[in-house]
Order: sequence, then structure tokens, then C-alpha cells
Amino acid sequence: MTEKPTMPGPTMIEFRDVQKYYGDYHALRGITAEIRAGEFFSLLGPSGCGKTTLLRTIAGFESISSGVVLIDGKDMAQVPANQRPTNMVFQSYAIFPHLTVAENVGFGLRREAGSREDKARRVTEALEMVGLKGYGARAAHALSGGQRQRVALARALILKPKVLLLDEPLSALDKKMRENMQVELIKLQRQVGITFILVTHDQEEALVMSDRIAVMFEGQIAQLDDPETLYRRPKTRQVADFIGTMNFLPAEVAAQTNEGYSVDVAGLGRCEITEAQAPGAPTGGPASVGFRPETLTILYEGQTTSDRVSEGTVEEVVYYGDMTYYDVKLDGIDTPVRLSMRNLPGRPVLDIRTRTRVSWSPGALVLFR
Amino acid sequence: MSIGGLFSRIGRSEAASGLAMISPPAIYAILLLAAPLVTILLYSFLTDGYLEIIRQFTLCNYFGPCGTYKMVEGELVQQAQFKGAWSDPLFLTVMLRSLYVSLGVTIATVFLSFPVAYFVSFHVEPSKKSLWLFLITIPFWTSYLIRVFLWKVILGYNGVINSALLGLGIIDEPLQVINYNVGAVIVTLAHAYAPFAILPIFVALEKIDRSLLEAGQDLGESSFTTFLRVTLPLAMPGVVAAVLIVFIPTIGDFVTPQLVGGPEGRLVANLIQLQYLKLDNYPLGSAMAVSAMAVVTAVSLCFLFLNRRFLRGPQS
Amino acid sequence: MKGGTGFRIYAMVYLVFLYAPIVLLPMFAFNNGIIIAFPLQGFTTQWFAALLDDPPLHDAVRNSLIIAVSVSILSTTLGVFAARASTRFNFPFKGPLMGLIMLPLVLPEIIVAVSLLVVLLGLGVSLNILTVILGHVLVCTPFCIAILTSAFQSLDRSLEEAAYDLGETPLSTFRLIILPLVMPGIVSALLISFTISLDEFIIAFFLAGTQATLPVYIFSQFRFPQAVPVIMALGTILVCLSILLLSIAEFFRRRGLARSGAKDTGGFL
Ligand SMILES: Nc1ncnc2c1ncn2[C@@H]1O[C@H](COP(=O)(O)OP(=O)(O)OP(=O)(O)O)[C@@H](O)[C@H]1O
Ligand SMILES: [Mg+2]
Repeated sequence: MTEKPTMPGPTMIEFRDVQKYYGDYHALRGITAEIRAGEFFSLLGPSGCGKTTLLRTIAGFESISSGVVLIDGKDMAQVPANQRPTNMVFQSYAIFPHLTVAENVGFGLRREAGSREDKARRVTEALEMVGLKGYGARAAHALSGGQRQRVALARALILKPKVLLLDEPLSALDKKMRENMQVELIKLQRQVGITFILVTHDQEEALVMSDRIAVMFEGQIAQLDDPETLYRRPKTRQVADFIGTMNFLPAEVAAQTNEGYSVDVAGLGRCEITEAQAPGAPTGGPASVGFRPETLTILYEGQTTSDRVSEGTVEEVVYYGDMTYYDVKLDGIDTPVRLSMRNLPGRPVLDIRTRTRVSWSPGALVLFR
Repeated sequence: MSIGGLFSRIGRSEAASGLAMISPPAIYAILLLAAPLVTILLYSFLTDGYLEIIRQFTLCNYFGPCGTYKMVEGELVQQAQFKGAWSDPLFLTVMLRSLYVSLGVTIATVFLSFPVAYFVSFHVEPSKKSLWLFLITIPFWTSYLIRVFLWKVILGYNGVINSALLGLGIIDEPLQVINYNVGAVIVTLAHAYAPFAILPIFVALEKIDRSLLEAGQDLGESSFTTFLRVTLPLAMPGVVAAVLIVFIPTIGDFVTPQLVGGPEGRLVANLIQLQYLKLDNYPLGSAMAVSAMAVVTAVSLCFLFLNRRFLRGPQS
Repeated sequence: MKGGTGFRIYAMVYLVFLYAPIVLLPMFAFNNGIIIAFPLQGFTTQWFAALLDDPPLHDAVRNSLIIAVSVSILSTTLGVFAARASTRFNFPFKGPLMGLIMLPLVLPEIIVAVSLLVVLLGLGVSLNILTVILGHVLVCTPFCIAILTSAFQSLDRSLEEAAYDLGETPLSTFRLIILPLVMPGIVSALLISFTISLDEFIIAFFLAGTQATLPVYIFSQFRFPQAVPVIMALGTILVCLSILLLSIAEFFRRRGLARSGAKDTGGFL
């Protein structure tokens, strides 16, 4: 799932118990996290959870109520936004409408030393890097959404910041364009090696692009992990629910063993669950288990398996072309579980009310508190 | 203080930046508007003297017999006598007439303007709307005095209308009902304030979601009942704004009555002007100005109160 | 668009009503007769020629121009502060302060005039051009604010932040980004306040003292029937000038809108 091995570089940004109040509203509730140099880092969460606020505290547009923000080891408390080693790509792109593309891209160079020719060369290079070679003389207001975005990127990257901040940069683009830009952004980040911090509410985008993701809810980081861990081992039901689809079943922790837990799962019976499958560190008593739709498999006539098998009735069929989603009511469980099957030859799509066997493995379960 | 964006990050709170930014116009308005308004309120309770104001509290500028005094050896000696505003039949007559003229102007202006605003909002192509608005606003900006004077020419005894009607043989003698009276004042003021009425109504009409009107007709309303039950209530905030923005300033106009109103067309502003510039009685003039403002404010508040149900609710 | 024709005809008639005085003006300005009435007496340019030979008029024009230029600069400057503050910041007493600043929009001018008169005379200030400027700035500022607020409002806040993010100071951000983008609004505010000040009579009448402005001079001439044709000629010039200034103002207002990509809602107010 990850695009490249995470390289544990030195810490670039560090939050220590960052709190932010807007009047009475508690927008950031004790953020503590580290972002490493050269990392593609995403802040993911539902609308209003404080992603933008956290990003803006890095840029310096938002003061924090308490706590510490360090960039490259330096406390940022007294450093205003125009002196921080960060640059930002705004959600609206914030292209200066009265300037040309080249003037926009070169805007930040105004204050730097260097000859006019040298600056012009840097602008040309930056435009080339984002695939806008030859667009320099264009009026900025005569650009398409995708082109504006590239200008915004070039403008922010030309100053070679230590950190590039991106606030939902792709949300204004259509689906095709967005997917193209995702790939380009990943390539660009590898090319320049700058720390990217991306804010998004699109979990797919975060999974595709990031080295690590912080999932936020209500001003707090619920989990900070690489995409695969986040997907396979979510710490809480909330995280699991937000990233992809997950089935939940009530369960009871019967005993804590050396390797993990013995759990009685409603409808599935006793399951042995390893420590790694319980990242939320449950203590015992009532709990729940979750499993992803793709970890369940329908057994067709004659198929056998070494996994465990339950029986049930198909209640709903949703056909997606390459995939089919089934809601299957397993015997002994009230709510149907969702499972997904790749549509391969020899796997006919089942009808509603068909009886079927479903195989599953305790190793795919996740135990929640 | 920097005129630029004082970002709250650089050590100042947003409130402080905002106050710093607003302070030049605010201080100007406090010194040259709020303080003078308070001053005439105070003056209206002081005693008139010759070429000076005597700092002695009195209500006589508003009620009862009043006088101009002179300080002679520490004693106030009355020099002249006049009536307090509300005890003076002339003031009462003129005040009543002013109210009636202002109301007439307001009603005429708003009624005549509404269809125009409606037309521009509903029947003019979007690309041509601003041209129409521009055409409507232009006369408003062009020499006010000369416009008023030209209404005198149009409505006068030997004026455009009379000479045209005479020339066409419709009348044998110039009409007198159209010149030098309250009616002429109303026509002239309705002309002067037309854009003030059209623009707020237009803005309110523009805000109406057109699908609401379709919904109304979809539910079986005729277009007229849709207008009455949907469009008009939604346009009311604009109408209310138009009424106030026409009604309040017309009270203060003294040029129009003087030029086209004739002897019976004098309004309260003429009396105020007289007290300040001719008779030099500032306390009485102030009492008249305060009284006129009080009456206008009271009428406006009543009007707002009566229309409160249109002004509530989600509005932007 | 059913029923549109009825409204269209009505609107046309209404425009005729609005423009009637303005249309009559040049007719009498070129009319070869002292009496302002129909029928017209033939064509002449003598009234325009008479304008050239009228020293009190020239004084009045000079006074009015000094006043109008100062007023447009001052009230636009104050308007920039107020519009910026009200669109960008939240601060205590925002409503009351903005209400007070905008109050002259609905306050009868005679009230503004007499209250200022009382205070200025009470302070022992003598009435002259300066006192008229003080009064005019009061009534012009709200119009400037109305125009400038829409200019500042269509300004995306992230543009400022972007400039700041790229290393500019608040002051240079204002100069490089905000000012160029609201410039059309500023030009249009300058022109509108110039036009209002040039045309304002009541405040000038109370506060001008012996230094008559153009409208004060015109008003004084209405008493002399023989002077009226000259005033018609003067009026014709003034109307043409106003229309020109307003057209330029409208042009800049629209260009400002086009530049920021905002939707045109029309009108100055
Ligand atoms: N200037 C402000 N004043 C008051 N409240 C604010 C301010 N800015 C943000 N908030 C509140 O803080 C919370 C977090 O806002 P933030 O913009 O960080 O959310 P977000 O996670 O970026 O959401 P979205 O996905 O919608 O952009 C929201 O509830 C928002 O209403
Ligand atoms: Mg956000």
C-alpha cells in the first residue's frame, strides 16, 4: 500500500500539547505529534475536526492558545508567518489575479538577493517542474483550475521551504484531474525531497499519497500511522469507520493470554486474537470486533477452505462492475455483514435470498475496546 | 499604525487591529457628527441670549412662552419674546404639513418605483441589469438645485405642461393646481429620491430564490397571488429600507419647498433654517430640529414595528 | 417573460419622468430668450458666452473644485479605513461605530448642517471652504464606504495570507496585493464623492460663510430672472460633467468586479 519505504528522517515539525481556542470553542485539544523531514504527511478527518487550524498553526496564520510548535528544532512562538521556513498552497489557490503567471511564481523572490536573470531562470525552472513551461506571460486569471493549482505549487516551491503545506489542494478539481494530480504530487515530492503536509478529508487520497497519516476527530489526533497500519489495524472504531468500510460485531473478552486475547464474538464463537490485532489495547469485558469486507469470502459449490466457515442468507447485492458487494445475514447474528468479492470468471453474482457459506479467518479481526 | 493587514500573529489581537483601523473614520464621525448632534440636543435646553447662549436650563424652547435674555449685572433681563416650538401654532401646522408631505413623497416614490425595480429584476436580461440601474441612478447625481428649479419650470404657471396644454387647445387658461403647492413639492421630491427607493427594492428582489416562485405557481397559485403571497413578503425588507431612506431625509429638505412650494408649501426645514440663519435663535432652532428628528424617528420606529414580521428570519 | 411588455412600457415612462428635467436643460440653455418657458425663441450660445464673464461665478467654481477635490481624497481615505476594518476585522462596538459613520446616509442634511454650524461657531471657527469640507466629508464617506466595502469584500482573504506567507510584511502586502485589487473601487469612490461634493447645496449653504460654492451661487441667482438662462447653460455643463464622471466611475467599478471575478449586482449603493 505504501508507495515507498518510510525513511525515518530527523524530526522536522513537533507539536507539544498544542491547544487552540476560538473564543469558547476548543478547536485543538492537545495535539502532540512529530513529523519527519522528507515525509509526505497527511492530516485526515471529517469536516470541522481542526485540520486546517492545525495546518495554519504551522504556517503561523493562527496563534496557539498553549503548547509548543517546533519547526526544525526551533520554537515558532515568536516567529511570524512571513519568516517561517514554510510555504502554503491554499485551497482556493490564492493566485494573485492582477499578476502574470511568472510574476505570481516569482512573487516570493522579490525579497531575495540575486540578479534579475537568476530570478527569471528560477521562475522558468519552477514552471517547468510543474509542467507549465511557456505559460509565464499568461494573465493569471485566464487559467484553468488545474493550471492555477500548478502555479500555486510552483510559487510555494520556488522558495525551497523546509515544509510545504497543502490545504485540500485537490478538492476543487474533477475526479480524473484529481487522480492525475495525486500522482504528480507524489512524484514532485520525491523529486524535491521537501516535507509535504497535506490536509484532506478524502481517506482514499490520504491512503494513496501519504507516508504517514494523522486521523483527527474533534481537535484530537485519534491515530497516527502509516496507511497500511491505519487500514489494517485501526485503534478505535471511529478511525476504522472513517477509513474504508468495516463490519462490527459485539464481543466479550473472555481471557487475556500470553499471545493476546480469547474473545467470544457474537455469531462467530470463540476466536484467538493476537496482541497486534488489538492496537487499542482492550482490557477485558465487553468489547467489539471489526473486519473489512474483503476479508470475508463466499464459498461457491464445492470450494473448501482451511479458514472458519459460517452460513447465512444474501440480503442485498450491489454490483460495481469489477466488484460485487453483498450484505449477508449470518446465522445467529442480527445485523447483516458486508463483504466484497472480486468478479472473476466462475464466480457468478448471487441472487438475493440465496443461502451461502462464508469463510473468514480470526487473523483478520480487529479487537476494539 | 500600519494601514495594511495587521495579522493577529504579529502581537496584536484582532479586536485591537480592527479598532485601530476603524479609528480614523470613527473619530471623525464622533467629533464632527456625534458631538454636534449632542450639542444641538443640549442647546435646545438652553436659554437664548443676544449673540450668545446663556447656560441656563429651560424647557421653554419646546413648550410655553419663551424669551431672549440678556445678562445685566448678574440678572437675566428679558429682551424679546417668542413661543416654544410646540406652543407655536405655526410650527405645529408646518410640522404636520412636513409629515404629510414626507409621507406623500414616500408613498408616491415607493409605489411608483416598485414596478420599475420589479421590471429590472424580473424582466431584464442579467447582462443589461447594470445598464438599467446606471440609467436610473444618473439623474440622481446631476445638479440637484437645477433639477428642482426645472420642475418649477415644468409645473409653473407659464411652465412646460401648461404651455403644452394651451398649445394643444386642451385648456384655455393655465392650470394653477399644479404649481406652487404641496403637490408640486411631492412630485419634485419623488423625482429626487427615485433611485433611493428603486435600489433597495431591487436588491431585495434579486435575493429572492426564483425556484420559490415556481414552487408557488406549482402549488396552483396564479401569478398574481404568487406575487402577493411570495414575492411581496420577500421583497418587504427592501421596501422598508426604501421607505426609511426616502422618508427621513425628505423632512430635511428646504430647497424644494422654497422653490416650488409657494407660500403654503413651506416645511419644517424652512423654519429651522430661518431660526439659524435669519433670526439667530439657536436654542429655538435646535429645539425645532430635535423635535423634527424626534417625530421622524418615532414615525420610523412605528413603521419598523408594524413591519417587524418581514424583517425577522434568516436574512443575509 | 409574460407580462413583461406592460412593465417595460411603464419603466420607459418612468425613465422619461426621471430624465425630463435633464432633457429640458439644454433646450433652455440654447434658447434665445430670458424667460424660461415654451415656446422656444431660437438658438443662441450667448448664455454660455456670458459664463466666461462672471467673476463671482469663477470664484464659486474655484471654491467648489478645491472643496470637491479635498473631500474626495479625504472621504475616500476614511472610506478605505472603514471598509477594510468592517470587512476584515471583528472588534468591539463594530455595529454602533459603523452605524454612526453611515448615519449621514439617512440623516437629513439640514440636521448635519445645523449641528456642525452650532459647534463650529461655538468653537469660534470662522466659516469658509474648510468648514464646508468638514461637512462634506461627513456625508460623502458613507457613499465611499458602500463602494469600497464591495471592493474589499470580493477580495479573497487567502490572497493576503499568500503574500504574507511568501515573505511580505503587512504593509508591503497592502501595497502589492490589496491596493491594486481594490484600485478600481478607490477610483470610483473618488469620482462619486467628487460628484456629490460638487453638487451638495444644503451643507454648503450653512457652512460656506462668504466663500460661496457653485450650488450656493446658483441658488442665489434664482432670485434674478435675467440670470436664469445663464444658470441653465451652467447646468448643462455640470450635467455633462457629472455624467462623464459617473460613467468613468461605473467603468472602474465594473472593471474591478471583472478582475476579481465577482458577479455584478449593479448600482453604486
Ligand atoms: N476564525 C474562527 N473563529 C471561530 N471558529 C473557527 C475559526 N476557524 C475555525 N473555526 C472552527 O474550528 C473548527 C475547526 O475548523 P477547521 O477549519 O480547522 O476545520 P477543518 O477540519 O479544516 O474542516 P474542513 O474540512 O471543513 O475544512 C470548526 O468547528 C470551525 O468552525
Ligand atoms: Mg479545512
